[in-house]
Amino acid sequence: METLNLTFILNRQHVSISVPHNRRLVDLLRDDLHLTGTKEGCGIGECGACTVLLNGHPVNSCLILAGQVQGSEITTIEGVEFENGDLHPIQETFLNEGAVQCGFCTPGMILSGLALLRENPHPTDDEIKEAIAGNLCRCTGYQQIVDAIKSAAARL
Amino acid sequence: MNQKSNHRVIGERIPRLDAREKVLGRAIYTTDLFLPGMLYGKVLRSPHPHARVVRIDTSLAEALEGVKAVLTFKNTTGNKFNASASHVQTIPPYQTEKDQRIFTDVVRYIGDEVAAVAAVNEDTAATALDLIKVKYDILPPVYDPLEAENSESPDIHPHCRQKNIVGNPIEMKSGDADSALDGSDYILEEHYRLPVQKQCQLETQVAVASFNSDGKLTVWSPTQAPHPCRRILAEIFNLPLNKVRVLNPPYVGGAFGVRIGLSGKAEPIAAALAMAAGQPVKIAYNRREDFIASDTRHGGYITVKLGLDQEGNFQVLELKSILNGGAYCSWSADVNGAIGARALTVYKIPHVSFTGYSVYTNTTPAGACRGFGAVQPTFALEMTVNKAADLLKMDPLKLRLRNIIRPGDNWIAPFPCRSSGLKECLEYGAMCIGWEERKYLKEQNQKSDRYKKGLGVAIGNHVSSCAPFQTDYTGAILSVLSDGSVQLACGLVEMGTGTKTTLAQIAAESLGVSPRLIDVKLGDTEGTPYDVGCQASRSCYTAGAAVLKVARDVRKQIIDYVACKTGYLADEIRIDDSLIFRGTEQILTLTEIVRDADYHNRQFSAVGIYESTNALSWQAHFALVTLDNWTGRVTVDKLVAAHDIGKAVNPSIVEGQIEGGAVMGLGYALGEEIRYSQDGCQLNNNFQSYILPTAADVGPIKTILVEPGEPSGPYGARGVGENAVAPVAPAVAGAVINATGVHFNVLPLTPERVLKGLRPQSGTRSND
Repeated sequence: METLNLTFILNRQHVSISVPHNRRLVDLLRDDLHLTGTKEGCGIGECGACTVLLNGHPVNSCLILAGQVQGSEITTIEGVEFENGDLHPIQETFLNEGAVQCGFCTPGMILSGLALLRENPHPTDDEIKEAIAGNLCRCTGYQQIVDAIKSAAARL
Repeated sequence: MNQKSNHRVIGERIPRLDAREKVLGRAIYTTDLFLPGMLYGKVLRSPHPHARVVRIDTSLAEALEGVKAVLTFKNTTGNKFNASASHVQTIPPYQTEKDQRIFTDVVRYIGDEVAAVAAVNEDTAATALDLIKVKYDILPPVYDPLEAENSESPDIHPHCRQKNIVGNPIEMKSGDADSALDGSDYILEEHYRLPVQKQCQLETQVAVASFNSDGKLTVWSPTQAPHPCRRILAEIFNLPLNKVRVLNPPYVGGAFGVRIGLSGKAEPIAAALAMAAGQPVKIAYNRREDFIASDTRHGGYITVKLGLDQEGNFQVLELKSILNGGAYCSWSADVNGAIGARALTVYKIPHVSFTGYSVYTNTTPAGACRGFGAVQPTFALEMTVNKAADLLKMDPLKLRLRNIIRPGDNWIAPFPCRSSGLKECLEYGAMCIGWEERKYLKEQNQKSDRYKKGLGVAIGNHVSSCAPFQTDYTGAILSVLSDGSVQLACGLVEMGTGTKTTLAQIAAESLGVSPRLIDVKLGDTEGTPYDVGCQASRSCYTAGAAVLKVARDVRKQIIDYVACKTGYLADEIRIDDSLIFRGTEQILTLTEIVRDADYHNRQFSAVGIYESTNALSWQAHFALVTLDNWTGRVTVDKLVAAHDIGKAVNPSIVEGQIEGGAVMGLGYALGEEIRYSQDGCQLNNNFQSYILPTAADVGPIKTILVEPGEPSGPYGARGVGENAVAPVAPAVAGAVINATGVHFNVLPLTPERVLKGLRPQSGTRSND
C-alpha cells in the first residue's frame, strides 16, 4: 500500500504526516494522531458522530479519505476550546444546560452547532434542528441540545 | 406540584460532573482505548439462519503473517452461558437458560459467531477471516414465534421443555377472570403485533481484554453491569471471580439495555483471543454487527381481553403474550414477567390474568431494551382502553381516571403501592396539552380534506429495581479523606443517565459538602461493592439508598468525633458546606476535623450494603398530532410527558431522561422496525434503513414532574430512566383514532401503514 505525505492545519497547528492511501480521515485522527474525541458510530455517514469541520464545513470524517484533506484546515472537538484552556461558549452551554448525557454524540453536535453559529449567528429553532439533523442522539431527545445551541448563539 | 424543600442540593439542576470531559472530547470510551501490544480482533459470523458447522478449516488464516490467534468452537471452551445478567429469577425461583457458547457448531441466526481472529491490524484480521473455510449443513429455519411453536417446525435448541419455548411460560392471576368475563356488560378482545426495535446506542459493542501472567483477566467494555459481566466471564473461563476485573474506561456511549451483562459477545471473544495470543485484544463491532449480533427488543403478539360494566368500570383483564425470543435466551425467560407486571398494575381490576412466554426463532436474539417488558403491553392495553372508550362513547381520559389504581388498592405486585401521582399526571398533562379542545377537533377536521388533528392519552408505570423478581442488592463505600475531599465508590456505571452526578448529590446532601468535592468511582469491579447493574431504572433508587446509608453513617461518625472533642452534644452539631456548626455558630471546618482525626489514627469511612425493595413510577403522556390524509404521515405537534418520579434529585437529568425516552418512544411509534427477508436476513441493519428520529423529526416535548415523594426512596426518589418510552406509541395512536376513527393494532405507524389503514382494500375511505 502506497503512502501519502500530507500537510494540513489541524486545530490551528501544522501537521505533517504519512498515511496509507486508503486511510479515512476518522482513522487518521483517532489512530494516527490519537485524537479520540472524534467518534465512529456507523461508518456510512449517517450518524454524524464523526463530524469534524473541514475548511469550516461540517463533514462526516468516516466518508473523507485522507488525501482529500491535503492543504486544508480541520477543526476537531479538541480544537474548540480556547488556547488558554477556557471552554468555548457552546461547550459551556452544553455543559450547563443538560445537553450532555452519554457524550458520544457530543463532539459532533458541538461542531455542527459551531459551524451553524459561524454562518448564522441568530438561528431559529428550526434552523438549529436542520443543522444538527445529521447528528443522531439516542440519549437526549434533542431538546436540551437545541436549547444549548440557542443559548450559545445568545452569548456569542 | 413541586414541593418547596429545604435541601441544599437535592432538587438542584447542578451541571453534570462528567459533562466537562465530554464537551472537551476528552472522555474515554472503550473504542478509544489503545494498549501496548494490542491486537485487533474480528469475528466470522454465520451467513445462514440455521445450519450445522460440518467442517471448519482455519489453516490458511493461521498462516497469514500478522495473525496471532484463530479460534473456533474446536479450540475454545464449550462452557454454556447466558450473555445477559439474568441469573436467577426469584418469583418463581428458577435458573436462567444458559444456551450460548463463545463459538457455536450449530448456527441459529445470521450473525451467529463461528470463529474469530486476532491480528496486528484490522486489515490483516479482515483478510484472515476471508481465509477461514466453513462447510455448513443447512437446517430449516423459522422466523415467526407462532410458526415456531408448531410441531412441524425445526427444533432450535435441544433443551426446550415445550416446543421452542424459552424457559417456562409465566402465569399471573388474581380473582377469577373467566367467570368475570361472562358477567361483563362489554367485552373487548383485541390482537396486537409489536415490532422489533433496536437500542441503537451510539457506541457499538466493543471490548478490550488483557490476560496477564498472574492469571488475571482484565476486560474493558461498555457493559452496564460490570459485576454480573465479571460473573459470566468467570463462569465461562473457569476463573475465580477475584481473578477477573471488568471495567468501563470510564465512559459508556449509551446502552439502553443492550449490554446488561455482556456487550454482545465482545468480552468473552476478546478474552479468549487475548488468552490464546498472549497479547491484549480489542474487538469493536461495526454498526452492522451491532444490529445483527446484539440483542434487540422483543417483537411479538399480545392479545388483550377487557371486560367492563356499563358505567365503564373495568371488571376483568386477560393478557396473553407470545414473544419472539430470537435464537438465544438472553432475557427472554424474564421479559414476560415484566409484561404481565406492567399490564396488571395500572388499573384497579378485580379479576386479572396473564400468560406469556417467548419462543425461539432463527433471528437475532431479543433481550433488554429501554422500557423492558413495558412498551409492548402498554400499547396493547392502552389501545384496548381507547377502544373501550369508543364503545362507551366516553372520553378516554375520563375512562382512565375512573379506573386507575390508587395507593392502598389491592394489586398483584409483590410490594406495596406506597404512593402514586398518576392522577395528578393525568390532570396536569391534560391541562397542558389542552385536552378540552379534543371535542372540537372533529368539526375542525372537516374543514380540511388533507390535515386532520387528534389528541391522545396513554398511561403506564415502571419499576425502580429488580426486586423481588431477581436478586437486587447494591452497596457503597464512602470515605472522607484527610483534606476534606470525599471518595465514593459504587458498583454500577455512568452510561449517560446521570448516575455519577445523582449519587454525588445524594452523598453531598447527607454529608453536608458540595457535590464538587466528591469523586465518584463507578463502573469497575475492583474496589466497588457488588451491584446488579444499571437496569430496571434502579440506579438512583437503589444505589442512591446505599449512598444515603453510608453518607449518614459517615456524618454520624464525624459528628460524634466533634462531640467527643468539643464536649458539645451531638444533637447540636451539624455539617453544612464543609463547615461544622453548633447551632448557628460555626466552630470548625470539616478539613480541620478530618486532619485532627488523621493525626489521631482515625478515618471517617463506611461501607454499606443495601437490599433493594421496589416502587413503581407513573406516567401519563398526551400527544397532539396532525395526520396528513394524502401521505399517511403522522406528525406529533406536541407531546406532554407528565411523570411521577417520586422526587427529582436533579431535575435537568430527570427531564433529559424523560425527553430521551420519549423520542425513543416516538421512533417506536412512527418508524423504527427491524424486518427480516425470507432468508432470515435483517432488512434494516444500518442507520440508512433503520429510521431513527433526528432533531428535525421531533416536535416540542413538555415535561411535567409530579413529586409526591416515595417513602422507600432516597430523598423520596424513584426510577425514571425507562418510563417515557412506552406511553408515546399509544398516545400517538390514540390521537390518530381521534383524528380518523381508525384503530391501529400494529406498529410502527409508517405512512404506508397509515394509508392502508385509512383506505382499506375496498377502496372506500374509512371515516369517523
